[in-house]
Amino acid sequence: MREAQNDIVATEFATTTNDEEVPSGVVLFGKYELRRLLGVGAFAKVYHATSVDDTHQSVALKAVSKNKVLNGGFAANVEREISIMRRLHHPNIINLFEVLATKTKIYFVMEFAAGGELFHEVAGKGRLTEETARFYFRQLISAVKHCHSRGVFHRDLKLDNLLLDEDGNLKVSDFGLSAVTGQIRPDGLLHTVCGTPTYVAPEILAKRGYDGAKVDLWSCGVVLFALIAGYLPFNDYNPSVLYRKIYRGQFRFPRWISHDLRFLLSRLLDTNPKTRITVDEIYKDTWFNADGEYRFNRVLVKESECEKQLGRTGFKSLNAFDLISFSTGLDMSGLFEDPTGSNSVERVVSTVVPEKIMERVEAMTEEGRVVVRREKNGGGAKLEGQDGNLIGIVVVYQLTDELVVVEMKRSEKGGGFGGQFWKDKLRPLLLELASELEEPVSR
Amino acid sequence: MGCMNSKSVRKFPAREDSLDLAAETAFTVNEVEALFVLFRSISNSIVNDGLLSKEEFQLAIFKNKKKDNIFANRIFDLFDVKKLGVVDFEDFVRSLNVFHPNASLKDKIAFSFRLYDLHNTGFIERPEVKEMLIALLFESDMKLADDVIETILDKTFVEADLKQDGKIDTEEWETFVKRNPSVLKIMTLPYLRDITISFPSFIFNSTNVERVDETSTRL
Repeated sequence: MREAQNDIVATEFATTTNDEEVPSGVVLFGKYELRRLLGVGAFAKVYHATSVDDTHQSVALKAVSKNKVLNGGFAANVEREISIMRRLHHPNIINLFEVLATKTKIYFVMEFAAGGELFHEVAGKGRLTEETARFYFRQLISAVKHCHSRGVFHRDLKLDNLLLDEDGNLKVSDFGLSAVTGQIRPDGLLHTVCGTPTYVAPEILAKRGYDGAKVDLWSCGVVLFALIAGYLPFNDYNPSVLYRKIYRGQFRFPRWISHDLRFLLSRLLDTNPKTRITVDEIYKDTWFNADGEYRFNRVLVKESECEKQLGRTGFKSLNAFDLISFSTGLDMSGLFEDPTGSNSVERVVSTVVPEKIMERVEAMTEEGRVVVRREKNGGGAKLEGQDGNLIGIVVVYQLTDELVVVEMKRSEKGGGFGGQFWKDKLRPLLLELASELEEPVSR
Repeated sequence: MGCMNSKSVRKFPAREDSLDLAAETAFTVNEVEALFVLFRSISNSIVNDGLLSKEEFQLAIFKNKKKDNIFANRIFDLFDVKKLGVVDFEDFVRSLNVFHPNASLKDKIAFSFRLYDLHNTGFIERPEVKEMLIALLFESDMKLADDVIETILDKTFVEADLKQDGKIDTEEWETFVKRNPSVLKIMTLPYLRDITISFPSFIFNSTNVERVDETSTRL
């Protein structure tokens, strides 16, 4: 099931037990103590390390040879991998903590997946039950949906790139071959031939351009098949025979696969990308929802600034300096982020009682597509889409005895639906709350 | 260390310069190098001289060099330590240091006091606060009548102006912000924690040396 190394940035590693390789006890940058070598690739070595501070946090430390990267002409790939991982914060995606460098080496400090590769889980058991496979597949689709909502297409999803944490949760790794929407040509398609042969979608082989999202879903289909069957749907020692099988969609279901799963797999491994199942359709699929409708795992990997707003008690009373701090001129985040990716904020002054405002926000659940999570302290609420992505937050501040400031902050994580909900529901509510205050507010 | 002139600032900072800046701030050598990537891009956006002008600073914050903002101007003036109308790389790093999540509370309190002491009198006076409030309301389209503004000012000064002399001194400010930590929220930029990921191209120019680089070729 494992493929030969073909990744440029080399994050797929052969495991090693050669302890002599490890300069154990070495502390890098005064921050990370190396523990053991996890794997070796053409360009890099990956170590398990722990932070030397009080937390002793475990990290995976990828040491990349700068010379090999520069001489191989892969500098752009490394930079792209960093910028992609930077925009992805999700419980089922390996988190990049920081990047370090010396004259000769580049170090990626990443989340450590103590459970190893999902590949070993399948290899050890031969194959997984549908229930176990569903558990992993749901997490994979959740991660893929998040990537796509941020304009990132992985393009090399395979068992080897799916890791497990200490609790057995899936973590997608290795964004060395991923693409971003900026790489899409005027025809709306990506054109780079990449990926791992047995997981590659037929439209990539056709070399006529492809939709990155559809390619990822084909690979998800191959992964799901492998989890259930214990072998890959398309495999052959002869590459041309392998490609012909993929191109024609020639594979056989093992007899133990249920009818509902066969249907889902046939939709995932549909050779026509136009009719291939979408992420939204997967969320409605019978097999996917076999034990009740799937709800996204709401573990927040990285609290956004948007969410930090809610860490306060009750309806906070604003003083003059709190108000002044709302100025965009005091917000230097523009130095560090693309304005298109930033949160948009709107505030209005209202005479509506704070509790009434929150009741009106809570009423906006729109057929279950939006979950309103009122904070325990009462002063605000988070609005989440059905996939768990944050759409925005609403915070109410007390300004004077009669006046409140209502702040609505739209999250960039909300995707297309979030934008629509903001436009159709949240903004109109905001304008409504301010409507009686056309004239300057007086006591 | 000497001032980096505009010619040398276009080049990647020398190892000694990065080490010195790292030693006197909360930034690591790599973070200083990543900040240089940021500085180089924003300081050359209008004039390619390796110095950051007020227009370039505003362009970086608002993506619009025409936008004039009393608060952005004020921050720039505080960054412009040498009062030359431009900010060099060293002053940029030292000034940003106060916004680092690990910077001391004392430094954050002192900087915020200077920020709001618009007329550099050594006090934050009521007319200054009113001026800033009106500027904020104008900028944000929040409409408040003058009597409401006065109510907000009254409420704030009752709490902050303990000596009741119509102005806030440094001691009063320290007491006030410790009681109202939300006022200092703007003094921390979480982005500075992720600076090496935000501006990763420093990795190819880094002059940093680690013990393992010198002693172990196996790593």
